Amino acid sequence: MIQVEHLTKRYGGHLAVDDISFTVEEGTIYGLLGPNGAGKSTTMNILTGYISASDGKVTIDGHDVLEEASAAKACVGYLPEQPPLYVDMTPLEYLNFVAELKKVKRADRKPQIDYAMQRTGLAGMENRLIKNLSKGYRQRVGFAAALLGNPKVIILDEPIVGLDPAQVIEIRNLIKELGQQHTVILSSHILSEVSALCDKVLIIANGKLVAQGTPEELSEQLTGDVTLQITALGEAQKVVAAVNSVQGVKQTVLEQEQNGETSVSVTVEQGKDLRAAISAALAMAECPVLALNTVSMTLEDVFLQITSQTEESDAEEELQEPVDEQQEPADTQAHEEAQE
Amino acid sequence: MIAILKRELKSYYSGMMGWLLTGAMLLFGGLYFTAANLQGGYTNFTIALYSFVIVLLIFIPLLCMRSFAEEKRSKTDQLLLTSPVSITEIVLGKYLALLSMFAVPLAVMALYPLIMKFLGGADLLASYSGIVGYFFMGAAAIAVCMYISALTENQIIAALAGFGVLLIAYLLPSIQTLFTAGSALALGVFLVILLIAAVIVGLRSRSVTLAAGIFVVGFVLLSILFGTKSGWLTTAFTNIMGALSLFEPFLEFVNGLFSINALVYYASVAGLFLFLTGQTLEKRRWN
Repeated sequence: MIQVEHLTKRYGGHLAVDDISFTVEEGTIYGLLGPNGAGKSTTMNILTGYISASDGKVTIDGHDVLEEASAAKACVGYLPEQPPLYVDMTPLEYLNFVAELKKVKRADRKPQIDYAMQRTGLAGMENRLIKNLSKGYRQRVGFAAALLGNPKVIILDEPIVGLDPAQVIEIRNLIKELGQQHTVILSSHILSEVSALCDKVLIIANGKLVAQGTPEELSEQLTGDVTLQITALGEAQKVVAAVNSVQGVKQTVLEQEQNGETSVSVTVEQGKDLRAAISAALAMAECPVLALNTVSMTLEDVFLQITSQTEESDAEEELQEPVDEQQEPADTQAHEEAQE
Repeated sequence: MIAILKRELKSYYSGMMGWLLTGAMLLFGGLYFTAANLQGGYTNFTIALYSFVIVLLIFIPLLCMRSFAEEKRSKTDQLLLTSPVSITEIVLGKYLALLSMFAVPLAVMALYPLIMKFLGGADLLASYSGIVGYFFMGAAAIAVCMYISALTENQIIAALAGFGVLLIAYLLPSIQTLFTAGSALALGVFLVILLIAAVIVGLRSRSVTLAAGIFVVGFVLLSILFGTKSGWLTTAFTNIMGALSLFEPFLEFVNGLFSINALVYYASVAGLFLFLTGQTLEKRRWN
């Protein structure tokens, strides 16, 4: 559906997007994930033809976004980060204008607008001025506009930001439903959002594509060892020795010793549940367990780790030979393992 | 294109600005018509039109200031540029909307020569050719101000810059008469223009050497010209000044001529600035 090849965007001396390549398949929800300033919006703006790439090629449904701009743009419904609304219009006027702009046939306009308004819950708001609408409703107007013209691809830049919890659930359901008929690409810096919604995730950091795959694949690949946080009554030495005696414990770090209570953080081999064994060992050593928590590494931590690593490894990479794009995710993983 | 045109017109007349500007234009049109034609006794309405060219200096920048500047500020240009419409269509849609807004008060004024006819004598042919010329002149000025609006995202700056540019174009003929005295002044003005060009190039390319190089080479060339063929400088200066005097060709209509030259000049100015506007929008995508 969408093919992105070696996409690069330079702003003066700054590389906003650095040689990104990926393919988007039909009928799938894609999530573009990355911290602020990673290049998500820039990538989306290039996909939609708002700005041009310095280098590389984007084709949408076989149409090059530069050479067959109008044909490519006709396949895309875009909701930018800040919905592009004319605040002196009502939602109905605005949607009429957008439908006309997108060259929707006169006869199709009303049904399409009705459908878009009903899907985004705009009923009852159609005749208020957009400037009097709240942020959530403005977001919906922008969303409805993106649906007009029945585009094959819907691109949403941070669609959930600024909505209240009830609206978040509604919009999430809407995106899921849309994913059944359209190809959806959305961006977010919130990982839970992306992993809940998307079939495929692309992680972008510092303009580079650092990892891609289904959320399950990513969490499988990326979640590291499980950490236990234990507080027990007893001397530090005794507690550490008791914990270390359990098979499967990789490392025990003493965190605090106060009033005869000792806190340690224990790294356990992947896939093992040693809670019972450790508490039994501590009981044998006469150090009663006061608290025991599992701190498994969440996708969030992994995400933070990956994205911060790219920043660190940027300097190194410049010294080394250029790394092939395909190898990069594996490369960062190797770094990660080495660190642990 | 039609969609953009319709939206522009709707938004212009749904706010206060549209009615205010149309009203002001009609007020001044009426005043000058009364003064020059009804009381002054001239049978050619073009004379009244020429007297309030100065109103255009304010009317047109105010009319055009919103055009692209506001789109950029509120990021609605993102909608236009990601829709399946070409930049040409966007520019033309906006331009035609501005032209229609300018045409509305002019259409009302087109009745004035008929009033004159009714009251006594009227030079209908001269009056209507004057109105056509006036429309073309406005169309050129609108293209200039629309281009200025595309350069900034601040409406106020767009209006002030538009006013400044039109005012200079308006005053150029009288400035020009100051300079016919000698080529030394022409040299001075060319040097200032050269300096400005060099500074702009320097800022754009971030290269002091390039800017300094351009200035030095230009300075040497101008000095040689000044030493050998000082007459050329003065002629070139007069010609350039003449080409930049946007409101001057309209005088031919005032003199009762239907000047094709003037119309071609205005159409070329409009075409040039529409092209530049399109280029500005296109260029914005590349950096």
